[in-house]
Amino acid sequence: MSLRYESTIREPLINGTKDFHQVTEDIVRPIEGKPGTLWYVGLYISVAMLLFGVFAVFWEVYWGIGVWGVNKTVDWAWAITNFVWWVGIGHAGTLISAILLLFRQGWRTGVNRAAEAMTIFAVMCAGQFPIWHVGRVWDVFFIFPYPNTRGPVWPNFNSPLLWDVFAVGTYFTVSVLFWYAGLIPDLATLRDRAKTKLRKFLYGYFSFGWTGNVKSWQRIEALFLVLAALATPLVLSVHSVVSMDFATSVIPGWHTTIFPPYFVAGAIFSGFAMVQTLLIVTRKVLHLEEYITLGHIEAMNKVIMLTGSLVAMAYCSEFFVAWYSGDFGEGGQFWWRVDGPYWWAWWCLITCNVICPQMFWFKKLRRNIAFTFYMSIIINIGMWFERFVIIVLSLYHDWIPSSWTYFSPTWADMGFYIGTFGLFFTCYFLFSKYLPVIAIHEIKHVLRVSGESYKQNMKSIETQPLPEFVERVSREEHISTGVGALR
Amino acid sequence: MKEQFVMPAKLRTISIVLLAIGILALIIGIFALNGPVSGTRFWIVLFFNAIFFLFMTLGALIVLCAATLAQGSWHIAYRRVIEAIFMAMPVFAIIAFIIMMCLVWGDKSAIYAWADKSLVAHSKLLQKKSAFLNPTFYTILAVIMLGLWTYFGYHIRKLSLKEDLSTAGTTKIFWKTYRVAAIFVAFYYVSNAVSTWQWIMSIDVNWYSTLFMWYIWASLFVSSIAVITLFVILLRNLGYLEWITYEHLHDMGKFMFAFSIFWMYLWFAQYLLIWYGNIPEETTYFTIRAWGSYHTLFYINLIINFCAPFLILMTRDSKRNYTIVAYMAILVFIGHYLDFYLKFMPGPLKNNWHIGWYEIGITLGFIGLMILVVTRNLSKAPLFLKNHPYMKEAIIHQS
Repeated sequence: MSLRYESTIREPLINGTKDFHQVTEDIVRPIEGKPGTLWYVGLYISVAMLLFGVFAVFWEVYWGIGVWGVNKTVDWAWAITNFVWWVGIGHAGTLISAILLLFRQGWRTGVNRAAEAMTIFAVMCAGQFPIWHVGRVWDVFFIFPYPNTRGPVWPNFNSPLLWDVFAVGTYFTVSVLFWYAGLIPDLATLRDRAKTKLRKFLYGYFSFGWTGNVKSWQRIEALFLVLAALATPLVLSVHSVVSMDFATSVIPGWHTTIFPPYFVAGAIFSGFAMVQTLLIVTRKVLHLEEYITLGHIEAMNKVIMLTGSLVAMAYCSEFFVAWYSGDFGEGGQFWWRVDGPYWWAWWCLITCNVICPQMFWFKKLRRNIAFTFYMSIIINIGMWFERFVIIVLSLYHDWIPSSWTYFSPTWADMGFYIGTFGLFFTCYFLFSKYLPVIAIHEIKHVLRVSGESYKQNMKSIETQPLPEFVERVSREEHISTGVGALR
Repeated sequence: MKEQFVMPAKLRTISIVLLAIGILALIIGIFALNGPVSGTRFWIVLFFNAIFFLFMTLGALIVLCAATLAQGSWHIAYRRVIEAIFMAMPVFAIIAFIIMMCLVWGDKSAIYAWADKSLVAHSKLLQKKSAFLNPTFYTILAVIMLGLWTYFGYHIRKLSLKEDLSTAGTTKIFWKTYRVAAIFVAFYYVSNAVSTWQWIMSIDVNWYSTLFMWYIWASLFVSSIAVITLFVILLRNLGYLEWITYEHLHDMGKFMFAFSIFWMYLWFAQYLLIWYGNIPEETTYFTIRAWGSYHTLFYINLIINFCAPFLILMTRDSKRNYTIVAYMAILVFIGHYLDFYLKFMPGPLKNNWHIGWYEIGITLGFIGLMILVVTRNLSKAPLFLKNHPYMKEAIIHQS
């Protein structure tokens, strides 16, 4: 490509005057320096939460599922809610890395590394819930279909719960591969800059002897494309399969055809909110405001608004069809959500998920960091309540009025949930200390076109009259390959 | 750069002949297709074609607005083609509106059971639904939706033409278009649900599916991209749009590929959940389609709309091959035409469906009309956008 040009109407993706070296310096600074007090405080709190979670899980394994708040009617509650919530959060990373790569969205370069890491940690947290929910956790390997010594005992292949194992497992594997492949050139950069022997050895070992020659770059770029192509359907399939855990049944409130795409939209919605929560703090603490700009935050807020509206429309569709179908159970179920004992959960969901994201219609609010941070937390509260409403509120009001009941969580429910927060943030703190939170090589890739200081060069191209411009680029063989050959 | 499109005489003749065939089929239909079954066939074929072609033009507006909101520049190279397609919307909206009014107010048809007062009187379910499904409400909503879709189309086109005349380097109109596109998408978003429920889902009046609205959307989005692709290739063949290269072709191929898969995803999500749940109210929809006389069409639909684009458009080379992309666009168009056919016919016609002189004649008529109106719109404005901030990006676009 001979002509580096991007319209000046596009906001720069990298602010300030930067060259390649400066980019490396800015991003690896936190890795090579000593972490601040805040980092230690944060890490210790996270580890403490994790340990509390471990204790809660130990308690549950020792005494059994009975220590949770689940009962005969509401036999699925917090654990599955938290599972779906975490898997949902784990959707943004792969959407950013895969789908936005295929759509050639340049702004992904600033946020993809951290978002992918977040995805992986979120899926790890999600995985805990089904594992410990099986009760006899020592038999958990039964979920894997393999030729076994138990005779003709196989998992039920017709069960969406088994599809979940495959869907989440595949998603996790591909996400890790994608993330790691992107890390390799950056790990090599760290290796080359390392001052101590241990660092040099470790970063060298994990960068697989990357040399940075043309052939390697060509191969890794090809690998990114292949992985993006594989990961794209996964973004849709994982939460679709998760939604089928509910939608394949015939329980009012669960059995509805919109569930798969609606769950996916909700997942992206909450995932982006979590990315905002993390990155707004990260960019501030690590001084990366020039790389994760207001433009990035605005772009993500737009995605949040879009997916939030999709989710809102899905709610409308559910309510409409509950009425339109004339189905007694379905209609009752939805009315019970609004007006039943758990009405406050439903209203919480509507406020957080439907009303709040609509604020992002205003550009001023989309670019307001404090507001965005606040909203990102509100949205994740809303998305938690969405799953809670779907799961618990559909179950506690079942077919037999005599078994209608209420659900209240116990300390063990909460402890387990808090523990996964501990796991998530522990991982994130370690990640932000030892690995570059922004993909250095990808920033360099877009720097010459989208960097603020390079955008000055575009002015002369911009003022050129169109026919002259076409003439020029066709001389530079942009167009000539196409003309004639198309006919 | 050739600025002005002049409609070739040959194309004009072809489109007029096609249109004449359509009108001829309509006239013969009026006389030949009477009685309970044939009368229904007469109306449903007209209705189905009107909606399908209306949705193609509407789809072009959605593609444009979505790309505008995503700040994409790939479509700017042939934005005038997209504009010409959605500017055909008023013609199809009027046709669709006339037919729809005949369906709900004239009691000639058995297409909407809920519009038949004697049927409603005997059905508790229909009475319950009558708050939403009644001729008055149907008419009001149709006027609002068709009117506003057309209005937004006009508005965006007007802004685009105004931009050509403004001074170079201005971004005011760019941002204005951006805002209008956002409002349109928000409105479309709600009207998509309402129109698909009221116009299409209510044909099978006892059946319901929450996903249906998005499933229709996926169908119209991918087939609109196919229509845009066909017109771009047509113009390219006539020696216009010389700045369009393989890179642009590649992108159109990608979109057809991606959204064919997306369509399949939604199709499968709906089918799987209904099959798994096995609730009679829901399965009736598929019983006649998958196990009734529509059996063959049902599977052809999946092959054309998913297997073919998926396998053929997967490689880079095929997306950069003019012939393959052109034929795939035609195939995708036919495929979604068939998909719409399967949505409309089984309800009113049951097993008495045809693909005969009448169906083919009417469809050819609509195709002729489409070519005629779109090419006329193309000749009304320059083929490139003189002052659009993304025009230069679009020219050097690399897929």
